[in-house]
Amino acid sequence: MGEGIGEGGPLVRGTMGIVIILALLLASLPIIMTYSTLILTSFANTIVSSPWVKFRFTLENWRLFLEGKLAPTAGVVYTPEDILRFIVNTAIVAGGVTLVVLAASVTSAYAFSRMNFFMRSGMMRLLILLHAFPGVALIVGVYAIYVFLNSYIPRDYSVYYSFIFVIIARASLEIPMAIWILKGFFDRVPWELEWATIVDGGSRLTALRTAVLPLVKPGIAAVAIFAFLAGWEDLIYVLVFLPPHEKTLATYIESQLGSGTLETTYLPVVAAAGTLYLIPTIIFFVVTQRLLLETMSGGLKG
Amino acid sequence: MVEVRLEGVTKRFGRVTAVNNVNLTFGDGEFTALLGPSGSGKSTILYLVAGIYKPSKGRIYFGDRDVTDLMPNERNIGLVFQNYALYPHMTVYDNIAFPLKLRKTPPEVIRDKVLEVAKFLHIHELLDRYPAQLSGGQQQRVALARALVKEPEVLLLDEPLSNLDALLRIKIRSELKRIQKELGVTAIYVTHDQSEALAMADKVVVINRGVIQQEAPPDTIYNEPRNVFVASFIGSPPANIFPATMDYTEEPCINLPGGTRHCVEDEYASVLWRMKPSKVIVGFRPEHAEIVENPVDGRPVIVGEVYTVEPLGRENIVTVASEDIHLKVITPPEVRPEAGELVYVAVEKGKLMLFDPQTEVNLRYIAREWSQGG
Repeated sequence: MGEGIGEGGPLVRGTMGIVIILALLLASLPIIMTYSTLILTSFANTIVSSPWVKFRFTLENWRLFLEGKLAPTAGVVYTPEDILRFIVNTAIVAGGVTLVVLAASVTSAYAFSRMNFFMRSGMMRLLILLHAFPGVALIVGVYAIYVFLNSYIPRDYSVYYSFIFVIIARASLEIPMAIWILKGFFDRVPWELEWATIVDGGSRLTALRTAVLPLVKPGIAAVAIFAFLAGWEDLIYVLVFLPPHEKTLATYIESQLGSGTLETTYLPVVAAAGTLYLIPTIIFFVVTQRLLLETMSGGLKG
Repeated sequence: MVEVRLEGVTKRFGRVTAVNNVNLTFGDGEFTALLGPSGSGKSTILYLVAGIYKPSKGRIYFGDRDVTDLMPNERNIGLVFQNYALYPHMTVYDNIAFPLKLRKTPPEVIRDKVLEVAKFLHIHELLDRYPAQLSGGQQQRVALARALVKEPEVLLLDEPLSNLDALLRIKIRSELKRIQKELGVTAIYVTHDQSEALAMADKVVVINRGVIQQEAPPDTIYNEPRNVFVASFIGSPPANIFPATMDYTEEPCINLPGGTRHCVEDEYASVLWRMKPSKVIVGFRPEHAEIVENPVDGRPVIVGEVYTVEPLGRENIVTVASEDIHLKVITPPEVRPEAGELVYVAVEKGKLMLFDPQTEVNLRYIAREWSQGG
């Protein structure tokens, strides 16, 4: 596994390699600058907007943020916010969306790849069409469903209902593309592998579990990343469907930057919030990246 | 072990008929090769026996047991796929143990059986490796071990050697045959390689377009092909086939290309008298002819011009053009005529094959059917 791209592979050797590295650096410079500004500011007593800004290292921003205290300098009276709760909320939404997307897309992609049923190719094309609709455009319709269903939900369960609704609604936006991605991975698993399991005494389900799923792991990882990020980053659905006091990190940061609050907001604290907001994304990506690049081959020829 | 029988089996995929009304018996403990070009339906027959495909019509029996509606896992078969289909995420040990694990065999028994079959196939030192770390030949053996570990009644092999290099193929070929005889398992072997089929099988079944062309021991397939397809498919190079006109004066005589005549005296004569076809299809094998300078004795002779000579070391393949027909003749290395030279191709006595121009069936078989029918 050690050879190949990166780790001093043939791609980055020689003059050509230097050119490539320079080009990549140049292309990612804006991204590097914005992220370094964000992360440095979260540990500074002022906004680190250029390399010449003098700043002092401090953990004060993080303390204030984790205690839920925003806008400390403007002298405005503020109510502490329950940051831990927002973090948990974000995790619930992101995790929930991931689970729902995976459950729906793995099973349907397998069916699309392996089974013959009425309107199969028609439905595949329909999925692309579904993906073409932006979530924002659908929000009116989704809201109508929300209100309609809400009338059947007892008031005590309303909060749970909101969470479940957000998760399912947000997940359904991701599912069409997820199915397409996964179908491609399933298509690459040879039929013989499943047949081998069935001849060896397994059922179709055993074959899926033991022979097929391990080989589509990279696809599952990719879909999981997209779904997780979709849930983690979502603003509109969370904003519309969760009760106002149930914020996620995304809506919380947004509320701090929204109209009328920006003047009173101490931006280094918001930077701390933004940095925290980044961390799980980075962790999740690092963990799944190995899976993404992992390709199981061998034992299969022809 | 068990005898496998197909009765009137037809398999359609949509509008395509892959296997058409096949009646076939695979003898108990016999090694049968299904031989045909790609798309002939030979693999379909194998997967029908395996139970992966269900016949559109007809029944399949293992001995007295009707298995037509049974799932593959209820049939006790071992199957080796062309691409081996090893589980890439499992070690060699786990791959071989997998069928036993699915049967809920106790772990100690699994261990013993896996080690036994691994030793038998000389792969016991590879048990901790992953398939990707093995050579093609080793992967092939692991696939065979996985098929054999459950002690199947029927061993099915789908072109298991086609992904190996030529040297290894010849080595494993003989090994596979030894293993099959040692275990006495009924084996069905799909291949498009005639030399594999002829070398390994007790019985060869030649298939084309879903229909059985001939079912016979290798010798018979080679020496007495049932029809033009079998004659032109078997042999390397395959048999020379060309049309010729007939006339019947005192004997049935064939007008060969180049203007010579050959009058038939052997067992073909009676059929020819009875059918009196005005045309026949003539065939002979390149190795059953020689290049001579003068036409001699009563052998069939064709006059032609040397077209190309391909020296292969052990022998030469000489192509002779006669009228617009190209004939191939295998000659000893020292017989190397010049291109453009006028030569005579003499066919060994009794080696000329005659086929019915309509049905393309070997007239010899028509004669036999008549004599059997009275």
